[in-house]
Amino acid sequence: MPVVKKGLLFDVTRCVGCGACYQACKERNHLPVTDSNFLKDHLSAQTYTVVQDRNQRFVRRLCMHCDVPTCASVCPVAALEKTPAGPVVYHEDRCIGCRYCMVACPFSIPRYEWTKVLPRVRKCDLCAERLANGQTTACAEVCPTGATLFGERDHLVQVARERIAASPKEYVPHIYGLEEVGGTSVLLLSDVPFDRLGLPGGLMKEPLPLLTWHVLQEIPSFVVAGSVLLGGIWWITARRDEVRQAQKKLDDQ
Amino acid sequence: MFPIKIPRITFWRSVLLIVLASGLYSTYLRFTAGLGASTALSDGFPWGLWIGFDVLCGVALAAGGFTISAVVYVFNIERFKPIIRPTILTAFSGYLLVIVALLFDLGRPYRIWHPLVMWNPRSVMFEVAWCVTLYTIVLALEFSPILFQRLRLEKPLRIIQSITIPLVMLGVILSTLHQSSLGSLYLIVPHKLHPLWYSPLLPLFFFVSAIGLGCAMTIIESFLSYRAFRKRLEIDLLSDLGKVIVVTLSVYLILRMQDAMGRGALKHAFEATYEGRMFLAEVLLGIIAPVVLLIIPRIRRSHFSLFVASLLVVLGFVMNRLNVSITGMEAALGGYFPSWTEVSVTSMIVALGFVLFSTAVKYLPVFPPEETEGENETADAQWLAPNVLRQPLFSSTTLALVLGGLFLGGSLLLGGNGLWYRKQMKSVVASKPALPPTGVADRYFKMPLDITLPTAVASPGVVTFRHSSHLDAKQANCTQCHVQRFRILKANVPTATTAGSRDLHSDQLCGACHDGKKSFSVKEDCQVCHSM
Repeated sequence: MPVVKKGLLFDVTRCVGCGACYQACKERNHLPVTDSNFLKDHLSAQTYTVVQDRNQRFVRRLCMHCDVPTCASVCPVAALEKTPAGPVVYHEDRCIGCRYCMVACPFSIPRYEWTKVLPRVRKCDLCAERLANGQTTACAEVCPTGATLFGERDHLVQVARERIAASPKEYVPHIYGLEEVGGTSVLLLSDVPFDRLGLPGGLMKEPLPLLTWHVLQEIPSFVVAGSVLLGGIWWITARRDEVRQAQKKLDDQ
Repeated sequence: MFPIKIPRITFWRSVLLIVLASGLYSTYLRFTAGLGASTALSDGFPWGLWIGFDVLCGVALAAGGFTISAVVYVFNIERFKPIIRPTILTAFSGYLLVIVALLFDLGRPYRIWHPLVMWNPRSVMFEVAWCVTLYTIVLALEFSPILFQRLRLEKPLRIIQSITIPLVMLGVILSTLHQSSLGSLYLIVPHKLHPLWYSPLLPLFFFVSAIGLGCAMTIIESFLSYRAFRKRLEIDLLSDLGKVIVVTLSVYLILRMQDAMGRGALKHAFEATYEGRMFLAEVLLGIIAPVVLLIIPRIRRSHFSLFVASLLVVLGFVMNRLNVSITGMEAALGGYFPSWTEVSVTSMIVALGFVLFSTAVKYLPVFPPEETEGENETADAQWLAPNVLRQPLFSSTTLALVLGGLFLGGSLLLGGNGLWYRKQMKSVVASKPALPPTGVADRYFKMPLDITLPTAVASPGVVTFRHSSHLDAKQANCTQCHVQRFRILKANVPTATTAGSRDLHSDQLCGACHDGKKSFSVKEDCQVCHSM
């Protein structure tokens, strides 16, 4: 049976900034308290989602779970993986700690355990384990307003479109995450432009891994062509040398 | 009886000692306290000096090796043969030092071998890992004849020499891939790297500039090794290397300018910004200045002026790599300025490089035996600055050199405008006007369910907890009770409290607020909560 891709839809216009999602995430991931005021907290190795107060608008930050994740593409040991159900998960036993995922992530999400001698990369895993058990994500379960909605991604896109169509004055006509860097499993709706919420704007529509793949896929042909070219040049120059020496011998006689 | 020889305390030996000592202390910090305590790296800025300088610049040291080997063995231009050994040695030590630097930078250095077993061919870093491994092996093989010759091991020498040609070709291909792949690393951050440096041609830029650096390093090493050991390359060869630098850097300059103009990024160079200044400094000092100098034949005919021009090439190169990895990323990622521990580790690695190189030059046949000095030597003598290597400690020359180096290093290379950036970012966020409020709570807030709490044996009656009497939908703050006092997820409600005690009256649970001050006390009328 094919697994249907799940996701989250976060609607800025419905968030009251109560912090239930923040606390549910802490509880499900057994994370310690990091700030007495959750609205002032920031993503860290102990905090996988935050609610930010952007002038009367509350916006959640968490891993976007890209369809073609940049982090998974850049990881030299495939420690990050996009699962068919949607979550981008981390295999900590593979990770060498190069932190390329953190540099490359267009949303700057992954965090590192800087204080540990043997650190790991930390980020939201879209409650992959709960999803496998047929549950929703912890944050969606506790949301009292439905601002964070869990469901099949296709369905969530439909819901988002309907909300925009039903009240076009209330929304910016854009589903953030529908096309950004090739689409993400976490989608956002808002009544104010997304860059005012602190989300990265101007992202390209193509998945970022294509940028490096265009170069990387040429390597095999480069190696073959390079060897032939170098071999050819060597053959010519060596032969020329040979001929010159033979000529010299002939002249000497 | 051999007299015990105490090494003289010279300036450079003292520097070496200080650098090694502080480097070792930082090494201890790094591996006992972790990256956070020993570096200025952060979630916002995960790659710093160790990647930007040690790795990006260290790898480029190898570029001279493959260029000259290709020229000699593949193109059969035998004239350059004397240059091969110093360049191979440079390349080999460069790669060894890069591996050392990586062991510092990787969060889990003992897993450095993972990429060889756990593949992800779509990752540039995977390519980099393979290139480092394979090319280090190739370089070790290319270097081995020098060792075999010294140890008079004829048989292995012959074996290695018989596979020279395929080895050189493999080296050229691997090196081309590796030099360019370091540029490819940054192809995936189009939104983060400043347009003055981000380009789809980054792999090509990294490759071409590395060749220029390789040649410049050869000239510098020849110059320094003459001062230390009276061993060096003849001026004709070095002069030709100068010509190669002119051609390489000119191509590089044209490519970069054309690319920047094509993408409409060149205008940023003339804006009065940090990035604009760093870009201009890089291009003017590090590319144009050495090209202009090296075009002049008189400059190419003197060891000293060749050395100065090459130093500019190296400086410009280092600036470029730091600009790509640090300056160009600061606007997007926030500020970064290396900690003293990072600087001291880097200095230690550079010092190790010097030690490695000079030891090899001293004991191995790296430079060809000195031939009769040409007439250039007299002309050269005018250029000879006071011999730094043999200066006593605290002479004015050495002091001036150190101060100059500190100044250059501090202001140009590391370019720490990090703090300034952080301030700017803050003010941008704060300046936005407030938005009109939405009536979210009235429309969407659904009060969480009432919860019937489990009763103890002695309980005077059942307690039903009502969210509606505990929170105001318009100012809901779930974090006052969750998760420190009460669990929030369904699977854990209603029995699970965070405190071990199940006595809900405790001041860790209901009693925390029902204390008679914030709200009525749990010790008051039982019937308020317990239904009888």
